[in-house]
Amino acid sequence: MAIKKTTIVGQSFPRVESNAKVMGAAQYVDDMQFGPNLLHGRLKRSTVPHAMIKRIDVSKARALPGVRVVVTGQDYPGLTGLYLSDRPTFAVDRVRWVGEPVAGVAADTPELAERACELIEVEYEELPGVFDPEFGASGAAPLLHPDLMDYAAVPFIFRQPGTNISNWFKVRKGDMEAGWAEAAHIYEHTYRVPHVQHVPLETHVAVAQVDGNGKITLWSASQSPFAQRNLIAKSLNISHSKLRVITPYIGGGFGAKAGVSMEGACVVMALNAKGRPVKLAMSRAEEFHTTFVRQGLVAKIKMGMTADGRITAMQNTYYWDGGAYTEYGVNITRAAGYSSTGPYFVPNVHADSLCVYTNHPVGGAMRGFGMPEIHWAIEQHIDRMATQLHLDPVQVRLLNCLKEGQETVTGMIMHPTGLSQCIAKAAEALDWETPSKPSGTGKRRGKGIAAMWKAPAMPPNPGSSSTIRFNEDGTCLVNIGGVDMGQGALTIAAQLAAEGLGIPIEDVRVNTVDTDYSPYEWQTVASRLTWSMGNAILRAADEAKTQIIQMVAEVWGEDPQDLDIIDGNVVSYATEESVPLKNIVVYGMQKPDGTWAGGPVVGKGRFMPTYVTPLDAETGQGPRAVVHFTTGAQAVEVEIDEETGEVQVLKLVSAYDVGKAINPDMVRTQMEGGAVQGLSTALLESIILRNGQPMNPSFTDYRIATAVDAPVEMVNIIVEVPQDDGPYGARGIGEHAMVPTAPAIANAVRAAVGVEIDSMPITSEKVWKGMKGQE
Amino acid sequence: MKHDITFTVNDESYSIAVESHHNLLRVLREQLVLTGTKNGCSEGECGACTVLLDGEPVNSCLVLGVEADGHAITTVEGLAVDGHLAPIQQTMVELGGTQCGFCTPGVLIASHALLLRNPDPSEAEIRAGLVGNLCRCTGYVRIVDAVREAARMQRTSVSPIP
Amino acid sequence: MQPFDYIKPQTLEEASALLLQHNGQARPFAGCTDLLIRIERGFVHPQVVVDVKDLPGVHDLLVVRNGDLRIGAAVTMNQVALNPTVQSGWPLLAEGCGSVASYQLRNRATVGGNLCNASPAADSAPALICYGASVHIFGPDGPRTLPLEAFFLGPGRTALQAGELLTAITVPFVRGSAGHFLKLGRTTIGDISLMNVAVLGWPDSDVPSGSSWRIALGSVAPTVIRAPEAERLLSQDTSPAGLEAASQAAAAAARPIDDIRATAAYRSDMVRVLTRRGVERVLEEIGG
Repeated sequence: MAIKKTTIVGQSFPRVESNAKVMGAAQYVDDMQFGPNLLHGRLKRSTVPHAMIKRIDVSKARALPGVRVVVTGQDYPGLTGLYLSDRPTFAVDRVRWVGEPVAGVAADTPELAERACELIEVEYEELPGVFDPEFGASGAAPLLHPDLMDYAAVPFIFRQPGTNISNWFKVRKGDMEAGWAEAAHIYEHTYRVPHVQHVPLETHVAVAQVDGNGKITLWSASQSPFAQRNLIAKSLNISHSKLRVITPYIGGGFGAKAGVSMEGACVVMALNAKGRPVKLAMSRAEEFHTTFVRQGLVAKIKMGMTADGRITAMQNTYYWDGGAYTEYGVNITRAAGYSSTGPYFVPNVHADSLCVYTNHPVGGAMRGFGMPEIHWAIEQHIDRMATQLHLDPVQVRLLNCLKEGQETVTGMIMHPTGLSQCIAKAAEALDWETPSKPSGTGKRRGKGIAAMWKAPAMPPNPGSSSTIRFNEDGTCLVNIGGVDMGQGALTIAAQLAAEGLGIPIEDVRVNTVDTDYSPYEWQTVASRLTWSMGNAILRAADEAKTQIIQMVAEVWGEDPQDLDIIDGNVVSYATEESVPLKNIVVYGMQKPDGTWAGGPVVGKGRFMPTYVTPLDAETGQGPRAVVHFTTGAQAVEVEIDEETGEVQVLKLVSAYDVGKAINPDMVRTQMEGGAVQGLSTALLESIILRNGQPMNPSFTDYRIATAVDAPVEMVNIIVEVPQDDGPYGARGIGEHAMVPTAPAIANAVRAAVGVEIDSMPITSEKVWKGMKGQE
Repeated sequence: MKHDITFTVNDESYSIAVESHHNLLRVLREQLVLTGTKNGCSEGECGACTVLLDGEPVNSCLVLGVEADGHAITTVEGLAVDGHLAPIQQTMVELGGTQCGFCTPGVLIASHALLLRNPDPSEAEIRAGLVGNLCRCTGYVRIVDAVREAARMQRTSVSPIP
Repeated sequence: MQPFDYIKPQTLEEASALLLQHNGQARPFAGCTDLLIRIERGFVHPQVVVDVKDLPGVHDLLVVRNGDLRIGAAVTMNQVALNPTVQSGWPLLAEGCGSVASYQLRNRATVGGNLCNASPAADSAPALICYGASVHIFGPDGPRTLPLEAFFLGPGRTALQAGELLTAITVPFVRGSAGHFLKLGRTTIGDISLMNVAVLGWPDSDVPSGSSWRIALGSVAPTVIRAPEAERLLSQDTSPAGLEAASQAAAAAARPIDDIRATAAYRSDMVRVLTRRGVERVLEEIGG
């Protein structure tokens, strides 16, 4: 295909659905009306972190007038999980975390459901718990899943029999002894990342209803309507054709709404509700401990460097605090493994990434999928070593960062990447070489930088598909299975379809997801929609366009090669004839002889990466671990109050190689939003767990950044080194935007006051304590 | 325990019976089916449920429905006039201040109220004025831009109506 | 949220009777910003909530004849914080009330409610204590008045007896005074105070330093407390050395605990830092 100048791709259109959003007219699941018949669901949740259920008595709850459904784990013992089927819908025999659902109630009012839950009696026999992943991985820890080896699982995770280790990803590359011997300096340190929560403004909510034919409809605030259909159908042993998932607008996800967390419970209640719809909505408190959280991490890093800053060897051990069920977390562990060196060329690597069961909330996907966590360790470590060797952190990164053609940690050859550019441009935009003056006495300033890489973390073969149908007036409907959770998928889909078809973007409507009518999409995760779904849309557009052009060519008696669609008209470069799409895309065209050509235009397209290869279980080596990596860097300047330890981020520069910005302004809004989410986790966020009990499950004590905490000055730099398998060369950017933020801030804090913070978040008190320690 | 109340919402008068324990948010969303106002935390921390009560912004999750008796409420559905977006709605669209959109109704109401009491707010005043509205998507950058631009439009009497 | 009834009494006698009648199962409220959260979290289970907003005088925000400020029980944080009279005569109080949570919350939260919750972190209390405020209470035996310092008994505990409710607060005017309220939160503004300090100073030719002082500390003891030794030291000496000594005395007065928000050690040191900063700012204004 000849390279044509794009007219719609690369333009910053406002998002297509924003009018509905600013008018309060955009419908989210909780806004949908189900009439007075609606039942209100509620979960009875475990109050203890680890126990056998000795007795569960629901008789009083059942007897309460207005209570229609009471279900327990005994009723539905099937297991589910995205990569490892280890998770029951309701606990069966054993509870493994505080917050685990043990029973579900649906009643005429939320108050009755709440009261009924209080009336359910559960007797626990408490067991010793596991509250630290390093301990959990040891032989001394109690076994949380004795049946681990019996669970169904994907082939690319490696469980360890008789342990709490549900995946162990190993890298054994090069010659470690030689690597250490070559190093002028070796530094070893341990870093920690606490559990955090995604905090979408909309909490998890689902409504389920069963019709007279036994067909179940689930309205779900989900990033994964198709994965939910798949997982729930499998766990209940019903046909996929019997379950329909509808997802309207959703109020943010950040990974929390990927896979299945509480939605199965809603379906199970609906199955017992005699046809009445059942709504299950999580409270903000439940959001912190009953749905997904980001896994905690203990990271041990040992790195060797030559005197001029070249990395000679890395030995990394990642203990992931996977929580009570690691159905999703096992793949985060894997992603951390194949990315374990960070975005650097390291010839000699010994890495272990272990997913460990603990009696903590369930770890799921969260924006960046393991990368913000490991980069917290790697990016501080490389910075500290640069300082120890009296080298410039920017130069050390530029020296070591992966370049095209170099081998990644798993032996994959790096594709063209703008990583070096990102590092250099971020530093330049922050005026890296020039120290700036504090705002007053008692204040100190510092600059920090961090680089990153991240590949879409997913199975090797997640598919996308799209269909395009035309209307009589020449407008079209683009059907996708991906979800717009705020990132702008609908707008990107519209732009790609319009560009591919040659019609104005105003003529494109993109539908939200209904699994009965929308084409398949694996999940809206991994920053993969623009890339994967985008490829499918372009192919659908191409098919539709081909149908139109062939029809017109036939009627006009022209060579299809001479025809094109421009701004909603088929034009001939040969004859300069032109015809609008209106009418002909549905009714076809009449030929000179009075007969007809064409018919309703329907384009379909699909995309699935077919080129990812397995990795060796013992060495982690293989030709292509992932589809590709998005790379980037952030640089920040902070000011610190010498007495209180308060950290203010003054300026934050983001630079990412997105391959091609389909909508540059929306790329920038992802960078801004991601950076502030990263800042928020860096400075404020932690689910405080004491013996498995969450101590701060509310916004009162789980603070997130407000408008005042966000940096006033933000600079966003788009680098475009095209990706060979991306639409117009595009890669994803949604998650990457928060990956390097926390270590960049930590590095800036260290530059300002010399305090090293090993454990997130960087609270004022930790900085204060560090400064006190220097006195 | 039901109580009869009469109040106006977006200039429309309503006489309804409300449960004494239902908050204003629930009355608006469930009885009046004005679902633009969102519930993000039920604890007055996130601001997604912000509405105007007699012209001043409040967290409708922390107001009992019965307390609205005799008062005037404005929700996000009441910001547009005759189908024309208010300046803050326009600038939020144009400058990309909304992503997932769930905080947006509350942000719009709080911003609208801020501009009513302070037609020319500084950047710091805008940020402080929005501290009760959490947004997890935007990093607040475009929201602050949108408020600043809406203020400029209103001050220079640029008609919001095309 | 479990059901409860709602009553809006018109007289103090009626309100008091309601509170007695329900045996502790009735809860008075004005702004509802705290009560509804407590009910939602299951901390309290009232049968009835008693809306005080129709009671006589509860919306008063005015200067009474002797120059005191009178704040009715239903006056909101914003009404106090944004009132020009308060801002000029009781700036410390305006700062304290203006620092609570968010603008929309302050539109509903009341000073009276803030006091009745008796949180050691209540942001309006330190300022009121510095000004020597009193609370007016109405109960089965009629009205009574208490100094605010005697009103707080412990975290969540006040001197209110069965059937009693707070009706108003009076705040004396301290001539020539300047004051500042400083707090430390996790987020830059709007957070619950990890600790806070209210500092009030005024010229006083009868003391060696030429100025008298009141300092109150929040969230560093079971109730908001004064720092009398720090106050005494400042009345002796407001030189940098005197200031440092007074700040350390304030820190010594604090009896904080470790909790999930901060450690005792950090809180104590921040009392020292913020007290010094507060005194410095007040000194600039009163010309000490």
